[in-house]
Amino acid sequence: MAEFKAEVFQNEYLADGATDAHAVVSVTCIGAGKTGSNGEAAEIIIVDTSGSMDMPPTKIAAARRAARVAVGEIVDGTWFAVVSGHSVAQMVYPAHAGMAKMTDVTRAEALTAVERLRSGGATAIGSWILAATELFSQVTVAQRHAILLTDGKIEGEPAGALTTALAAARGRFQCDCRGIGEDWVVDELREISTALMGTVDIVAKPEDLEADFESMMQAAMSRGVADARLRIWTPQGSEVLFVRQVAPTVEDLTATGEQTAPLVREFPTGAWSDESRDYHIAVRVPVAGIGNERLAARVELVVNDEVQARSLVKAVWTADTDLTTRIDPAVAHYTGQAKLADTIQKGLAAKAAGDDRTATVLLGEAAKLAHDSGNENTTRLLEKVVDVVDADTGTVRLKRDVVKSDEMALDTRSTKTTRIRREP
Amino acid sequence: MTDVVAICPACAQPVALGDSYCESCGQQLISDEVAALAVQARADASGTPVRALTCLDCGGTVLDDGFCSVCGKRALSARDHWQETPADWVGGVCDKGIVHARNEDAMALFALEDRSLAVLVVCDGVTSAPDSDRAALAAVLAACAALTATSPSPSPAVASIVSHWSAAITQSCLDANAAAVGIARSLGNPTEPPSCTFVAAVVQHDVVTVGWCGDSRAYWLPDDGEPRQLMRDHSLGAELIEGGMAPAQAELDPTFHTITRWLGADSVDSTPELASTQLQSSGWLLVCSDGLWNYASSPAAIQLIVRSQVAAGSCSPVALAEALVRWANAQGGHDNITAALARYEPSLR
Repeated sequence: MAEFKAEVFQNEYLADGATDAHAVVSVTCIGAGKTGSNGEAAEIIIVDTSGSMDMPPTKIAAARRAARVAVGEIVDGTWFAVVSGHSVAQMVYPAHAGMAKMTDVTRAEALTAVERLRSGGATAIGSWILAATELFSQVTVAQRHAILLTDGKIEGEPAGALTTALAAARGRFQCDCRGIGEDWVVDELREISTALMGTVDIVAKPEDLEADFESMMQAAMSRGVADARLRIWTPQGSEVLFVRQVAPTVEDLTATGEQTAPLVREFPTGAWSDESRDYHIAVRVPVAGIGNERLAARVELVVNDEVQARSLVKAVWTADTDLTTRIDPAVAHYTGQAKLADTIQKGLAAKAAGDDRTATVLLGEAAKLAHDSGNENTTRLLEKVVDVVDADTGTVRLKRDVVKSDEMALDTRSTKTTRIRREP
Repeated sequence: MTDVVAICPACAQPVALGDSYCESCGQQLISDEVAALAVQARADASGTPVRALTCLDCGGTVLDDGFCSVCGKRALSARDHWQETPADWVGGVCDKGIVHARNEDAMALFALEDRSLAVLVVCDGVTSAPDSDRAALAAVLAACAALTATSPSPSPAVASIVSHWSAAITQSCLDANAAAVGIARSLGNPTEPPSCTFVAAVVQHDVVTVGWCGDSRAYWLPDDGEPRQLMRDHSLGAELIEGGMAPAQAELDPTFHTITRWLGADSVDSTPELASTQLQSSGWLLVCSDGLWNYASSPAAIQLIVRSQVAAGSCSPVALAEALVRWANAQGGHDNITAALARYEPSLR
């Protein structure tokens, strides 16, 4: 049985008249177990087979191999399907518009079917999402997960089709997205991964796809907790400023909250494996006088409506400025990491729009933030896009000849945060 | 038996059990939860005192974690304000004050009705070290238990009584220190261990023996005659005064309240300093924390306050203690306030 624990990091002391309580709540799951072994999970692999996947043909060949590996990782008893995406979504396995239960027989059939994947047609990701939503609706299992691979931007369907499809798919399944090559659009895949609580990443080289699919499917199969929610109570008259996942990646959850009771909102967090996630929560509470203490938030991790772990975010008003001027190190760190992700995305957007001046300023700011917080991965990615003149002051120059995939890697991985080192 | 009353959520003045409105400010009270506060804080040394079931601010239900389910306010607990009356002639009040969020003072009293023996112990938790409220409570309970387990001096000679209780107080202080260290251990030995001051006064007949570490005080305030502070603080402030600085000027020094002796895991010296006196006339023995004496530090000043409160009708020890706490809160309540009193009457011996 999975066990959760929640730990809060905050400076609870507020100065007279102050209203905003900030805290980082770190949630850890252990003993999540494996998924799928008793038919409790469903997996769909969606492979882009549009015409561009043949340019060069190594892409479609890599996609076939990757899909085979992913099928091989799916645990017996799991409901599954393989879908080929082009101008429409087309069943690869099973042959009918439904899902099959994984057995030795269906696995062998699916592997043969994947060999027949051929490219042709346009990219209409919205229609693929709709098809996956429909397939998942045919099974009643709690845990539903898809892998989506594409190499191009959406062209085969009207603008807005993706957003419409995502609105219907939200909460029905989780989706990890991978872009192969350099011709896909980071924002499109990020829209999907954000709406469907998955990851997004670039696979620049076709030969890396197999290993990526393998680890992605292994991760999916290790999520033994199907669906957990973050339940947050805040006092009457308060306002939730934001709820943000800040580790391992930055995801703003504020808008995904759903009121489930007076003063209580729940935020879906999807499936969990043995892992740790940090949340930065900010609540504006009604002031109370010096010497008063108010609970600013009661944060609970809930599975099947049962509370698994609880943390309290407090506000204590004091005149002691030694206490009120301290900023909790975790709150400070993750405030910086969220700003880092945002600054990179805005900087790259400015660069794409030809506004080199703004891009230089923002990416310089990002280089400083990454350097100061010890986020070495992001620093490395940034260094492929800018020449860092002085990280301490955030002085950078845009590189002349940037490899496009490096820029896309920086964009997609900008939300990956480093964890703050904690006292043992 | 120990009586416990609540404090008004609006003005922090004491309210009696069953009152519908606060006598001081008219705030409407919810009598059930005032009644729910009628629990002895001393009964629970674990640091999780029993709380009101309903929020005194908004009427919302208080959940197990001690916070109101509607407005989130921390529910008032018995630890925030309580009084003790072990005998008619001994009483005390321990109060959170206004500015501090927690009551880190603690008090334990014991007395015999025949006026032959009283024990008054006060510890003041050090605010800068977390969980000092628990250390202070554990310390007073340990010291009071040690002292009440000690038989009175069999010899009535003053010197015998003093040496008897000096030894007992020294041992009780070591016990109190061990209890405070135990709290630190139970918390996994934090780098800033919880700590507290210590003062214990034992009255056997007309002899008062006092032992202390830190700046919680004992005063002898005779009805007629010169009031006296029975001890000197272990604090940088006391050292300034001993070095020749005027008390009024020393009290303005930022290091004035820095104590130089205390109980807890990081205590350098937890042996109490000792003093004694033989009482000649009727008066009040006052044992208190700096939450009270900050507003009237000289013996003459505190005597003035005591006299005016007695003149206003607070005649019993516990009523006078409540009045002193109320008065300190009216001065701002900047710290936790403890006032414990024993009434001495030679004619009643």
